[in-house]
Amino acid sequence: MKIAVAGKGGVGKTTVSGTLARALARSGHQVLALDGDVNPMLGISLGVGPEETDRLVAARQALDGGRLGHEPTAAGLVDKFGTDAPDGVRLVVVSRIDEADPG
Amino acid sequence: MKLAVVGKGGAGKSVVAGTLARVFARRGDRVLALDSDTMPGLTYSLGVEPAGEPLLQAAAEKNEAGRWRTRKGIGPVRAVQRYAQPAPDGVLLLQSGKTTPEGMAPVMGSVNVFYDVVQRLRRAPYFRDWTIVGDLSAGPRQSAYRWADYADTFLLLAEPTWKSALTARRIARIVRSRGGVTVLLVANKTRNDADAATVGEMVGEPVFGWIPSDPAVVQAERKGVPLLDHAPHSPAARAVEQLAERLSSH
Repeated sequence: MKIAVAGKGGVGKTTVSGTLARALARSGHQVLALDGDVNPMLGISLGVGPEETDRLVAARQALDGGRLGHEPTAAGLVDKFGTDAPDGVRLVVVSRIDEADPG
Repeated sequence: MKLAVVGKGGAGKSVVAGTLARVFARRGDRVLALDSDTMPGLTYSLGVEPAGEPLLQAAAEKNEAGRWRTRKGIGPVRAVQRYAQPAPDGVLLLQSGKTTPEGMAPVMGSVNVFYDVVQRLRRAPYFRDWTIVGDLSAGPRQSAYRWADYADTFLLLAEPTWKSALTARRIARIVRSRGGVTVLLVANKTRNDADAATVGEMVGEPVFGWIPSDPAVVQAERKGVPLLDHAPHSPAARAVEQLAERLSSH
């Protein structure tokens, strides 16, 4: 099952996504939580903690910055850039905007 | 004063921007409200019927390469004179096109013109004495990509949640990196006296003002009508009036 959660700002996408991810993990699914917001906050709803969530490195920026070697497979990306969240959920932040004129 | 209202989704940007614009206009300012969001929002908070076809689409044309550009002879002044819509209390509203069931393609011309116009506003002497209130889309994206270059003041809205506070922190960092702007934190949806201070600590900024959590705002939003029309004497409406006063004397 591959679920995308969409809607207007403030309707509760992140809270529903994080709770859904953990509920599914608890019922035995292997869960990958992808934070596709350039203002990534899914870590907070998953229970990673605010400060830790603020420090998460996004796959996009890590690849662009050359900090880590190019990783061609999806599984490799999840492995390298993922973070463990409660209930065994794996969290990957796709991209984030932290500076002016990010290109 | 040229204001841009920024913050996380749900922080109350549209309600505050729409109410502020009308309060400034009632105090005698000439007010231009700018709706940058490609999702609907400010029209309801301001009290303007949402348009079908975006008006600014008429100011767009395609160049030889098939890219959208602003038609010749259309600068910020003409764009506002021709394509801004009258809103209550004498406010003029200029808005970007909104996303459609067919996606953004049908309105991309208007989005391009809008971006072009807001970029050039700062250098247009015509607007020197105007008050501008811009409602940006949620999160840091539009702040990072210069959708509010006209702004001398960023009104940073945050409610007492970590998601809202971290978002505010990120936006503050981005807009300050360009220099020459004032960032003012407004705590929204505060539930008690301590909440505003808590928001300040979470964001790491002094609190310029606060707006209490108020069922009147929830009701106005549910009905899709402006707060000033639905509950003009509500605590939140009063708080925005005080905010306008403090901004004017700032």
